[in-house]
Amino acid sequence: MSTLRSSLGVLVIVIAATTSVRSQEPSAAGRIKVVSGSAFVIRQTAAIPAEPGQTVFETDGLRTGTDGRIGVTLKDDTRVSLGPSSELRLQRFTYEPGRGSFGMVLQFVQGVAAYVSGRMAKLAPQSIRLETPAAIVGVRGTSLAIRVDP
Amino acid sequence: MAGMRPLCCSILAGALTAACGPKHIAGPMRPGKALVALLPDSDTGATGRALVSSAAGTADLSAERDATLATTNGGPGPVTTLSQADVDKLFGDALSALPRAPGHFTLYFRFESNQLTDESRALVPQILRAVKDRSDPEVAIVGHTDTMGTSAANVELGLKRAMMVRALLVNAGLDPSVIEVTSHGEGNPLVRTPDETPEPRNRRVEISVR
Repeated sequence: MSTLRSSLGVLVIVIAATTSVRSQEPSAAGRIKVVSGSAFVIRQTAAIPAEPGQTVFETDGLRTGTDGRIGVTLKDDTRVSLGPSSELRLQRFTYEPGRGSFGMVLQFVQGVAAYVSGRMAKLAPQSIRLETPAAIVGVRGTSLAIRVDP
Repeated sequence: MAGMRPLCCSILAGALTAACGPKHIAGPMRPGKALVALLPDSDTGATGRALVSSAAGTADLSAERDATLATTNGGPGPVTTLSQADVDKLFGDALSALPRAPGHFTLYFRFESNQLTDESRALVPQILRAVKDRSDPEVAIVGHTDTMGTSAANVELGLKRAMMVRALLVNAGLDPSVIEVTSHGEGNPLVRTPDETPEPRNRRVEISVR
């Protein structure tokens, strides 16, 4: 019982800490699960080499080199992946069903990508927008593949 | 009226993009063309639906391997159906990098109790196996309630349920550092009901092993 109580205490502290920093920092959107070849997380102007397990945040980008691949699972179980010479921006990610707050904007900037929808597509499909240079894609519980060329 | 919808959607989408544009970090994208293909879900085999829209028009992808090529000026072109060989050739590099599908488990409670049902309790070994099976596991434990009571109280109640399941899994040997506990309260029901409706199927804890 004392273990449970102390872990509850820790959780409360963690929640309090998370809530207090949320207003200043972008929130965690998901994690990198698959990396091969050269792949980077673009955070503001920095290109950080991508590794499995790394957290990606709202407003981050993902970019791959000519031999690179990367796959990410977001917090609502959405999965997105990129093939070589590709770029994706995670413009917006909000998944808070407890507060009725949803939003996902993914910008497919260049190259080849796959998208498998998660829970947000079931709960609030209208809040998901996949943007490409030539059109916007609205989804209803869907797997998609997208290829963007200049 | 049904015919009006795609047009309204594309106008709305265009307006939204324009309104949201300046707030985005990196400004507008360079012009280009986009090939969009609808694929069946690799786990369920079901195919969803996607609407590809621009100011110039809308393409409705509704069948397996339906695709449209959209250009910056011309908008989405006619819907064609790709062969499986086309899909592999065009998109195989990205599809091969998709992470594994998350493992989903739903645990239910005994009537008016904080005790899990026996069936739900029996899922624990499966959950632990799903975690072991992954090289970099994350376990999201999400508490849910029915619509009885206020939504704020239900967020708390959902959190209590999720914490209970967390304790159960940690006691069974799950590494606490991979766990994230949240609550959706009454905001994410399995079965939609009016407010103030008792519904045992909505009193649950959902676990995603990612």
